[in-house]
Amino acid sequence: MDLDSGPDLDAFRREVAEFLDTAPTDAIREAGRKTTSVFAPFDETMAWHRILARKGWAAPGWPVEHGGVDWTVEQRFVFTEEYCRRDLPPLLPNGLKMIGPLLIDLGTEEQKRRHLPGILAGDDYWTQGYSEPGAGSDLASLSCAAVPDGDDYVITGSKIWTTLAHRANRMFMLVRTSTAGKKQQGITFLLLDRLDLPGLRIRPIVGLDGFPEQCEVFFDEVRVPQSARVGAENDGWTVAKHLLSHERGGSTGSPWLDRFVRMIRAAAAERTSPFGGVLADDPVFQRDLGELEADVASMRHIEELAISGHPIADDPSFPSVNKTVNSELTQRLTTLMARVSGLEGLALQLDALGIGSGTAPLGDDFDLVSMPYYLNSRAASIYAGTNEVQRDLIARSLVAGR
Amino acid sequence: MDFGFTDEQALLRESVTRYLEKNYSFEARRALVRSDRPFSPEVWATFTELGLLGLPFPEGVGGLGGSVVDVVAIAEPFGEHLLVEPYLPTILLAGRALAAAGEHPVARDWLARIVAGDAHGALAHEEGRGTPDPARVATRCRRSGDGYRLDGEKRLVLGAAHADVLVVTARIDDGTGGLALLVVEPGASGVRITPFRTIDGRSAAHVGFDAVEVPAEHCLTTDAHAAITATLADAVVALAAEGVGAMTALLRRTAEYAATRKQFGVPIAGFQAVAHRLADMRIACTKARATLLRTAALAEAGRAAPRDISVLKAQVGRLGRAVGEAAVQTHGGVGTTDELAVGHYLKRLLAIDAMFGDSEYHLRLVGAGTPAV
Ligand SMILES: Cc1cc2nc3c(=O)[nH]c(=O)nc-3n(C[C@H](O)[C@H](O)[C@H](O)COP(=O)(O)OP(=O)(O)OC[C@H]3O[C@@H](n4cnc5c(N)ncnc54)[C@H](O)[C@@H]3O)c2cc1C
Repeated sequence: MDLDSGPDLDAFRREVAEFLDTAPTDAIREAGRKTTSVFAPFDETMAWHRILARKGWAAPGWPVEHGGVDWTVEQRFVFTEEYCRRDLPPLLPNGLKMIGPLLIDLGTEEQKRRHLPGILAGDDYWTQGYSEPGAGSDLASLSCAAVPDGDDYVITGSKIWTTLAHRANRMFMLVRTSTAGKKQQGITFLLLDRLDLPGLRIRPIVGLDGFPEQCEVFFDEVRVPQSARVGAENDGWTVAKHLLSHERGGSTGSPWLDRFVRMIRAAAAERTSPFGGVLADDPVFQRDLGELEADVASMRHIEELAISGHPIADDPSFPSVNKTVNSELTQRLTTLMARVSGLEGLALQLDALGIGSGTAPLGDDFDLVSMPYYLNSRAASIYAGTNEVQRDLIARSLVAGR
Repeated sequence: MDFGFTDEQALLRESVTRYLEKNYSFEARRALVRSDRPFSPEVWATFTELGLLGLPFPEGVGGLGGSVVDVVAIAEPFGEHLLVEPYLPTILLAGRALAAAGEHPVARDWLARIVAGDAHGALAHEEGRGTPDPARVATRCRRSGDGYRLDGEKRLVLGAAHADVLVVTARIDDGTGGLALLVVEPGASGVRITPFRTIDGRSAAHVGFDAVEVPAEHCLTTDAHAAITATLADAVVALAAEGVGAMTALLRRTAEYAATRKQFGVPIAGFQAVAHRLADMRIACTKARATLLRTAALAEAGRAAPRDISVLKAQVGRLGRAVGEAAVQTHGGVGTTDELAVGHYLKRLLAIDAMFGDSEYHLRLVGAGTPAV
């Protein structure tokens, strides 16, 4: 074990801090403060992505030859810490954490050449088209069909919960190309390099927090070239499963959760307890926050070990453990946020949450975001595989082979 | 002992349910919430006809002399239909506070108009410290000429934006530290009303008082502690009944959904993780409803101690939230949308928990053995 390997962290920290203090515009900072979802406000976050990309810092997790950064574990955490400390919006995950790494591993040279630069630079936004009304937890039962026709596929069917499809210009999706054999075996992975295709229609869906984040996407004989396929026809399930492995040992979510802890502590220092005195001094509140802070610390330790290549992350159920811990901590922290806001959190403030709306919040920034964040986070135990399904996977990996 | 509803109560509940089923569908409610109107005048007119507005007031002031159990009988269906009409602020808060002030001509006058359906009111009491305890009211009221001068800030006053009359609690600055109850017109100089909608579709406002001059005859009493405590206790019972109504509706809808939604070729209710969560929802609803009905009976008999009210508020707040979250999780993706009623029930239950002290607050009162309210 070695806690202090690597180059001079202080100098690195100063370099990061200086950039993060000067590079973001006011609108980007406002978007960071008003983030109430894993999906930060779209326009400002993409603008920030492009600024980071020009600096070469958009994709720390990518291989260096594809535009990643040659940072140590410690440096990656220092970067994320300084980032979260400044309330900057987290970059949208689909390109950088999902389709980008997938193409690096499995894409053809042509696909890499075509798509990776736009993903890295923040010029393109990719939405994920997997789920369907009838195929959620049982994703392999998906039925949106792609029929070969000359050099093309013709797609007919629908997708749902396609996050930010209404803002995206690209989509990676799973389609059914065969109904013979096991249902996993007739699925194909496709790349759509535009969404304004004839026959494609997008309907935004308003969420619990009052904002349209999800979408339903309808395909009526939409044509895409067969060269847009990743992997072999009918082998899309393997491709999709490969994507999962990128969650293994790649995430640095804990500094964002630390940010919640800091926000809660700061808000509590400015509020009175119903039992008198300052809320931050209230021992019951302290115990509740302490429990969450300790759990966030453990999550951080998990991530540090994983990024350093420790075998703890080699367990087949590791992505499920990670997902479950992260999502449930997000829910518990935002629940405490909403509780600290109390009555103040009940005010619906959609206008004030808009970036550049100029509408002042009714109370402070904390009360503005706490309830929408809580409401939005109800989805954290549902998306990316529900936590029930994750627990099944964890249990199955324990019992398998015994 | 009999904790069931009387025939009369059952009849009233039945007619309210029938009316709401016909006229207050989820779609109709949603159109209302999205409109500029804070509530529906047609519904209010029907409530007037059905006698709901006079229900909890003594006959002497034009009321029907109903009890808190009568209110529970109709508040459960209110919760089941996610009613946004201002029954709580106008009738159960402002109205009851006016009635509790006793034989005061100004109070009687406003009450008569409220019961007739001609006026709306709001009770400006909570100040955002997470407690409804009258002892914690910091809004001040000082002698000024013949009357009083009012200064302070009330947070999330339900119904204030469209109220014809505000009933305001304030600490009196005369050395006694008593609690005054004042009638203030919303248009009076120095009254600052910042209106907004709540996450559960209600109309509310923050209300500030900057040196508001209040005539002496608009001060209903300077010893309102007991009146406010009693008003809030009954309001908590009614709010808890709405909460239980919402929980009941969620349980029914979620069980239906789990029985029909198929994944992996079978209804999701067949998965143990889902089945056990449904069972926990059932258990939560049973606990909450039993505590509601028992506490309502105690309150009707005038024997509900502050502890009983705190237990009820804590249980409905905590269990309601749990049922709401479980319902969303069981619905999966569709549960996280604005398009299904499920999320709106969750938001209603969150609001119910946050009002008049949340479940954490009341649990601590219960545990400390010295509940206020
Ligand atoms: C905010 C959000 C963003 C999303 N983003 C995307 C996206 O970008 N792209 C995309 O393709 N999809 C996306 N999804 C879809 C997501 O992956 C699905 O919602 C999820 O897989 C669950 O499917 P479902 O909603 O159909 O719920 P269902 O599968 O119908 O599940 C309903 C309930 O049944 C339970 N259940 C189901 N099967 C089992 C089982 N075998 N054992 C125990 N319990 C079970 C579930 O846990 C859940 O509680 C998103 C969803 C949300 C809410």
